[in-house]
Amino acid sequence: MENNVLDVKKLSKKFGSPPNEFIALDNVSFSIKDGEILGLLGPNGAGKTTTIQMLLGVMDPSFGEINYFGKNFKKNREETLKKINFSSTYISLPWSLTVSEILEIFARLYEIPDRKRRVEKLLNDFEIESLKKKQFYMLSAGEKTRLLLTKAFLNYPRIILLDEPTASLDVEIAVKVRKFLKIQQREYKVSMLFTSHNMSEVEEMCDRVIILNHGKIIAEDTPENLANTISDTEVELLIKKDAQKAIALFKKIEIPFEQDRFSFKIIIDEKRVAEFLILLAEEKIGYEEISINKSDLEDYFMQTIERNNYNV
Amino acid sequence: MFNFNRVFAMVFRYTIYLRHSFDRLSDMFYWPIMDLFLWGLTGLYFAGLNKNPYGIDIILNGVVFWLIVWRAQYEISINLLSELWDKNMVNIFASPLKVGEWILSVIIFGLLKMIVSFIFVSIISFALYKYNIFLYGFYLIPIIISLLLTGWTIGFIVSGFLIRYGQKIQTIAWAGGAIIAPLSAIYFPLSVLPYWAQKAALIVPSSYIFEGMRQILFTGNISYDKLLISFLLNFIYLSFSIMFFVFMFKKSRKLGLGRLI
Repeated sequence: MENNVLDVKKLSKKFGSPPNEFIALDNVSFSIKDGEILGLLGPNGAGKTTTIQMLLGVMDPSFGEINYFGKNFKKNREETLKKINFSSTYISLPWSLTVSEILEIFARLYEIPDRKRRVEKLLNDFEIESLKKKQFYMLSAGEKTRLLLTKAFLNYPRIILLDEPTASLDVEIAVKVRKFLKIQQREYKVSMLFTSHNMSEVEEMCDRVIILNHGKIIAEDTPENLANTISDTEVELLIKKDAQKAIALFKKIEIPFEQDRFSFKIIIDEKRVAEFLILLAEEKIGYEEISINKSDLEDYFMQTIERNNYNV
Repeated sequence: MFNFNRVFAMVFRYTIYLRHSFDRLSDMFYWPIMDLFLWGLTGLYFAGLNKNPYGIDIILNGVVFWLIVWRAQYEISINLLSELWDKNMVNIFASPLKVGEWILSVIIFGLLKMIVSFIFVSIISFALYKYNIFLYGFYLIPIIISLLLTGWTIGFIVSGFLIRYGQKIQTIAWAGGAIIAPLSAIYFPLSVLPYWAQKAALIVPSSYIFEGMRQILFTGNISYDKLLISFLLNFIYLSFSIMFFVFMFKKSRKLGLGRLI
């Protein structure tokens, strides 16, 4: 509790009133530790944006409590907002203003004492120093995203809310941004709430993940632990000479398979992979290529959402 | 209560926005000049027809001083709209900026812009028609303040609706001030209005100011009662309009400011 920079307790958001009431967020509780990166995942309409808006203080919760640094957000709004910041691909910045004018305004709003040096450093970190005189509307999507991130780090935030921070960035810049975020976490203990639709990015970045669906938390753990809960493993085989023998074997042992000419795709339990390979050897079925793909966070995410949607 | 660094940051934001926006510069200089040409020449023509020595002054009086009301209300509404157009609402209200500081910043910025615009129009109207705003002497100050308060009142009411309902009703930013224009008796005496409108004008603070100005023009005397009533109404209305804006802001925040982008 002491180490938590953010504590969310029983947060709910309802719109409208019965019978047309819509529950966007239902009794959600979670916390973020100092220097921790928490992934907030969920399909569209799951409640991610609603959660972020409430955490930024631009939407009032219907019920529940938000505490930053052990203090109630509502009662310590000004003090808290000085220490947090955000970046979202869905938010823009003043279109006609130049990059340096925008950063000057926000540096003043956050009362950054060494604002010129801070702005220069961040422009350099995000490799947009050459864009200082360019107006916002003239920037490419990737440049806009990097400017939003620059704005987000202006006030030396202790916690930062990142809504798809690398969307619209090319691969090279996305790698650099992720590296920058990791450095901020490691060296400055900056905590982050991270949303992304890129699951490999979430696995790389996040210490812990929360999955939201229909406004409720349906899973919470480290990305590895969540992925490990799925035992399904995909085995891909290229069998040319013994294709007919292979088909007969799969039917005999009742393993469902997909075939595309000589390529076979089989999904079996992780524990049965070794046994399956031995069986192929015993039946003298030779294969030219094999790849074994263990389930990852994306598989877990898809399965969990599907299961939850079915139950709802 | 207010953090003036943040207030200054927002004044700075709108000043830079003005520098980059041809629209905003044109409504500061171009349209007032066009009004002066159009109404000034119309006034000259009618003054000649009726052999009325005050004809042109009455018209120019309306053009120059209504500008104060119009500018004051317009600046507040348009600066709020600029945040909606720029999808910048969440950025500024997720910063430590308080709603009261935003209100103060648009008041200060609007005041500065109005002063520049008013001086510019006054100089042009003197150069073109020898119309001198200083003919009101010391009373010029309370007249300007009262009209400013009226403009801000309309501005906060309009902005209250804008922050609640967003860009879909943005036309009220331009139409808002026009609502009280006929009842303000800008170019004509209250007596020419229908009886019901005369009664309605009694609760419009700017009607007392324009009536009072014409009285100064014709008699050289001011009615202190009119000035006092105007101030009294303005203070009441402005207080309520700010409360209304804050109420609507909170209502909007309940639904999420993010939806306005």
